[in-house]
Amino acid sequence: MIARRDLAVRVAARSDLSPTCFRLTLATQEPVDASPGQFGMLSCGEGFDPLLRRAFSLAGVSRSGETTEVELLIKEIGKGTALLRHSAPGTDLRLLAPLGNGFSLEGAARRLALVAGGIGLPPVLFAAEVLAARGTGFDLYLGAASAAELLEVERCGRAASMVGGELVLATDDGSRGERAFITAALERRLSEGRVYSRVLACGPTPMLAALTLLARDHALDAELSLEEPMACGVGVCLGCVVELEDGRYVPACKEGPVFRAARLAARWWA
Amino acid sequence: MRVRLAAAVGDLTLANPIMAASGTFGYGLDLLEFCPPERVGAVVTKGLSPRPRRGSSTPRIVETAAGMINAIGLQNIGVEAFCRDALPVLRERGAVVAVNVFGERMEEYLEVIERCEREDGVAAYELNVSCPNVTAGGMEFGHDPAQLERLTGMCRAATRRQLWVKLSPNAPDLVGTARAAVAGGADAVTLINTLRAIAIDAEKRRPVLANACGGLSGPAIKPIALRMVWEVHRALPEVPVVGIGGVESGRDVAEFLLAGASAVQVGTAIFRDPAAPLRILAELERFCAEQGVAESRELVGALEWH
Repeated sequence: MIARRDLAVRVAARSDLSPTCFRLTLATQEPVDASPGQFGMLSCGEGFDPLLRRAFSLAGVSRSGETTEVELLIKEIGKGTALLRHSAPGTDLRLLAPLGNGFSLEGAARRLALVAGGIGLPPVLFAAEVLAARGTGFDLYLGAASAAELLEVERCGRAASMVGGELVLATDDGSRGERAFITAALERRLSEGRVYSRVLACGPTPMLAALTLLARDHALDAELSLEEPMACGVGVCLGCVVELEDGRYVPACKEGPVFRAARLAARWWA
Repeated sequence: MRVRLAAAVGDLTLANPIMAASGTFGYGLDLLEFCPPERVGAVVTKGLSPRPRRGSSTPRIVETAAGMINAIGLQNIGVEAFCRDALPVLRERGAVVAVNVFGERMEEYLEVIERCEREDGVAAYELNVSCPNVTAGGMEFGHDPAQLERLTGMCRAATRRQLWVKLSPNAPDLVGTARAAVAGGADAVTLINTLRAIAIDAEKRRPVLANACGGLSGPAIKPIALRMVWEVHRALPEVPVVGIGGVESGRDVAEFLLAGASAVQVGTAIFRDPAAPLRILAELERFCAEQGVAESRELVGALEWH
């Protein structure tokens, strides 16, 4: 098991990626041995409002010399993320990481399908870049509401092309790529005979629910990174539970956030 | 200046007055690398029932200004799994363990205690009669002094270990329920559990939590918790009080001790910082040193008021 730590991190860089999303690069002197799909709990500033840390999937980890850089892609949706968006380089924060279980990247006989919707991209991008470096083949399906909210398109394209994979884009309004839900773009290719070993996905719940049904219809193994309201991130508050097919509630922070779709309760996707 | 931090709740001596609160520290072994259970005064387990409980449906938590509301519904592994899997490790490590006990019926409280009585390494029981998130048991005992006295008396007869009753801030008569717990044989009272609260999503025109209501915790409730500790301590000065509610710093602990608490539990702060109990303990030590307090227990009930 990879050691989790409460890291002292410093905002190294911050840049806008879209009207609502931004990149936060955090630097720490400690090594961070994380795998795609794992997450961290990040403090948002001083004081008691916001009270709790925020959970973010890691988008990438790199080490050069004595410094580790942890990359987060964040959508501004409330007070905590707004504070982070305006935190200046040099701001000191705490990041409890790496937490949870990530995607299975091993043992794929064929290509993988990587699917990201909107701000679901970070763990998928992390997986894409790790897979590209290893030479494991994949196609990357990237969807968003509109062209402006498609994140990191060039980088996704670069990673996919390194292993001869396709980058498929789709937007709800058709402003870039196919005018469709990204799951429909995947479904079309599956029905045309494209074959995958596994689907790795993160995105809004309706997208993941559609993927679960799609995976079942095509006898595909699917792993989904879920987002749940989370207080502690370490399995003690039991706030972030997900209902499994056997009826148990398990904390997403410890047993997930990546779950095999087949394990989830029918209520979740029906 | 060396500060002595030893504390006592009734006749139970603790190395220091900081405990990890029920429901925020798992079964004592989940945060080992941040807060080893043997280094705090005591660990209070997640509320244990005779059999495992599934808990409430989701969403279960929501953040509010300087606080959070939870409706977990006492999801727990059950007393048997606790005694089998966690307690031996806690015992081995030398942790002081308080088992938080929950039942839907009075007999179920007894069942949990009787199961634990067969094990070494349990120092105290904390009766949860104040959970706002379950439909049966819990709060109904905590709101009715006659029932509370009967429940406490039943549990008292089953153990010679420390018996604490965690009281509800939602009860109509706080001091009355504290008196009832003591009349039933409680060694101490824990104050306070969460305050019944609701968060509303204005766009959706719906409560945020699946349960609608839940329990409010965090710094937002500290002044209320302090007032309740003070009130009970003034009415019943001979009864040890374990204070809890929004403790985030060593200074907060000092405030609870001054109000009359013999020891203090750290809860929601652990969600922000898994090492919170130890950080707060170090801050308390520093506070005492700065204030020329040689023993932290000198602070207990030392609030000066005309």
